[in-house]
Amino acid sequence: MSDERITADVVVVGSGAGGALTAATLAEAGLDVVVLEEGPWLEADATEPFSKAEMTAKYRDRGISVSLGQPPVAYVEGRCVGGSTEINSGLYHRTPPELVSEWRRDYDIDDFDVDDLAVHYEGVEKALTVSQLPGPAPAHSSMLDTGGGRLGWDVVQVPRWMAYPEGETSFRSGVKQTMTRTFIPRSTAAGARIIAGCRATKVLRRGSRAIGVACVRDDGRRLVVDADHVFVCAGPIHTPALLQRSGVRGVGRGLKMHVTIKVVARFADEVPGSDAVPVHQVKEFAPDLTLGTAISLPGHIAMTLADDWATNGADMDDWRRMAVYYAAIRTQGAGRVIAVPGIKSPFVTYQVTDRDLSHLARGALALGELLFAAGAQRLYPSIADTPPIDRPDDLVRLWGATTRGRASLMTIHLFSSVRMGERRDRTGTNSFGQVWGFDNLYVNDASLIPDAPGVNPQGTVMAIAARNCQRFLADR
Amino acid sequence: MTAPVIVTGGSGWLGHALVKALEADGRPLRVFQGDVRDPVAVAQLFDGMQGASVFHCAGVIHPLRATREFFDVNVGGTSLVLDHARRAGVGRLTYVSSNSPFGYRRSPAETFDEAAPYNPHLGYGVSKMEAEQLVLRAGAHGALHTVVVRAPWFYGPGQPERQTRFFRAIRRGLFPLFGPGTNRRSLVYTDNLVDGLLRADAAGASGRSYWIADARPVTMAEVHDSVRRALAAEGLETTSRQLRLPGFLCEVAGWADTLAQKAGRYVQPVHVLSEMNKTIACTIDRARDELGYEPRVDLDEGMRRSVRWCIDQGIEL
Repeated sequence: MSDERITADVVVVGSGAGGALTAATLAEAGLDVVVLEEGPWLEADATEPFSKAEMTAKYRDRGISVSLGQPPVAYVEGRCVGGSTEINSGLYHRTPPELVSEWRRDYDIDDFDVDDLAVHYEGVEKALTVSQLPGPAPAHSSMLDTGGGRLGWDVVQVPRWMAYPEGETSFRSGVKQTMTRTFIPRSTAAGARIIAGCRATKVLRRGSRAIGVACVRDDGRRLVVDADHVFVCAGPIHTPALLQRSGVRGVGRGLKMHVTIKVVARFADEVPGSDAVPVHQVKEFAPDLTLGTAISLPGHIAMTLADDWATNGADMDDWRRMAVYYAAIRTQGAGRVIAVPGIKSPFVTYQVTDRDLSHLARGALALGELLFAAGAQRLYPSIADTPPIDRPDDLVRLWGATTRGRASLMTIHLFSSVRMGERRDRTGTNSFGQVWGFDNLYVNDASLIPDAPGVNPQGTVMAIAARNCQRFLADR
Repeated sequence: MTAPVIVTGGSGWLGHALVKALEADGRPLRVFQGDVRDPVAVAQLFDGMQGASVFHCAGVIHPLRATREFFDVNVGGTSLVLDHARRAGVGRLTYVSSNSPFGYRRSPAETFDEAAPYNPHLGYGVSKMEAEQLVLRAGAHGALHTVVVRAPWFYGPGQPERQTRFFRAIRRGLFPLFGPGTNRRSLVYTDNLVDGLLRADAAGASGRSYWIADARPVTMAEVHDSVRRALAAEGLETTSRQLRLPGFLCEVAGWADTLAQKAGRYVQPVHVLSEMNKTIACTIDRARDELGYEPRVDLDEGMRRSVRWCIDQGIEL
């Protein structure tokens, strides 16, 4: 049986924030585009947001991936048409300007400054209708404003990519502008073909040219897409893995994450609406440390209480008075992605340094100060065998408790596993995502971001992707 | 001026000298002996101290075992001190930094000035760099007037046991010179540094950093000679013998130190050894120009005072 073969001008591997934007932009410029997506194509509202059903349907490994290292870091990735944009909170930031300058300097990135990026941020903000809540925020989110305000900290309300109906003021109103609601329909309207349930296994090459992508459909049938240009946008884990499997060297190093530690707070009164998406963040210690509120369904609360379940289990009855908070840091440590022949998921290692653990302890302590100031009565840090903290005097214990053996760490933000710039020793692509050593192979996703941006990264991912598409089209 | 003064790390080598000088000045003074990692203790420290000047001297330079302390105390503690100082409406904060965020110079002729780029040396260097950045950022934020003072290797009365061991070994000819001994080091006599700190508090521009050291850097061989002269001048029988060892041993120690610190371990002798053939020298031109700083005690006089202090304390040399 011979493999099915199709032909296109451009094949894009992955349909998340980077891939969907790339597909739409190139298709709208008149190119014939095929998008390959490993996960299923589901309607954006097919599953309850942040539910177990959603995790099963739209997350990789049903929502549980873990990097190897001490301590291990749990991470999540979307695996569906639209990628992680279908499952995240939709919080939008522009990249902190001081980091843009730092990256340009450290990686020697051409035409990369805040002014160069401005037009691309504006395009993304318009396309995704980035906007503030039409009314008051949910209570668990506002606690940051209350507590942070009392401490004189800089607290911001982060805009989201949402479409709010005219005149509506509820935080429950509005429709999240995921890729399946924005750039995916734009792609298909411009003639792009989206092939879901189809995993890319290798970029095919002839010398320094990529000639297409080999893939396997869910039912085991093989497909080859022959194309003039190949864009890999499979996310910071699977992009370098696919490139490695295709014989590209020097990618997969320098993976970065925003590593987070959590603290559940129990308040005097019930915290209604804690299943809604929180929007406040404390930027007092940014960009190195950000504090925020997490989605606080009972399952999320239980997960943190479980770090000392013997002590905390009985308190679970009070979950209506609880909410989950996080402290996220930019790490000194970094990781690696290593594709292993015969195994679908690559090995991911991540080294959290002593400095990082110390910053996490500082973050948990800052959260503690804020939450007590906001009226919390009891705090449960995500640290194994650590009894709850009932008064500010006990916050100092967090320094000794936040150790390699005990801290439960996780992340939802990963990047930097390829990196762009003219410093060939430190990057996998040139300043615009073209893979070193290839004429027509590109990366265009979070893998390119040179280091942790210290903010929710989707805005950065999309602005860089838009910039690189513009350059690609101009160079043709 | 009678603005109250707060000193963290007041029980340390430098802190003690600073407190003595402030007491002599008669300024209202609050000395912190607690844990800078404890937000409740730090909040109490600043309670009611609106408009005060803070000298933040608390820090870990040689942790007992683990490098983690560098970060918890030097970075975490500084972050808490800055935050609570701002909340309490404290006016000014002067931070005691170090040469370690800048590494060392390639050639003995080179010196650091305030424009030198960060090139931190291992855990301590990274921690002091991050702390400096927090201090400078707090100043830029505008809620607090912050000044950074960068001090190299100190000497002076109140010296810790590690410095006394150095004196003892020199006296017996057992402290080696590594390589030719022509590498240069800046040192600072503690009272010179205290003077620099007081001037930085009084006249330092916010967000500005200043190197504070003795008048000029000296070669490592000169440091040894000066200690020998001071010991002899105080009537202690001192050998003129000088043990010499090849400089590459410092490189070996440097590798060992790097490996140990990667594993989170801190081994003081190895760390100190690795720096013995390095040039870590600075110019104090900016402090002279902007703060009117002029070191009053020179190396020989300072070393003599140090030796005399040891003798007065009954510390065996």
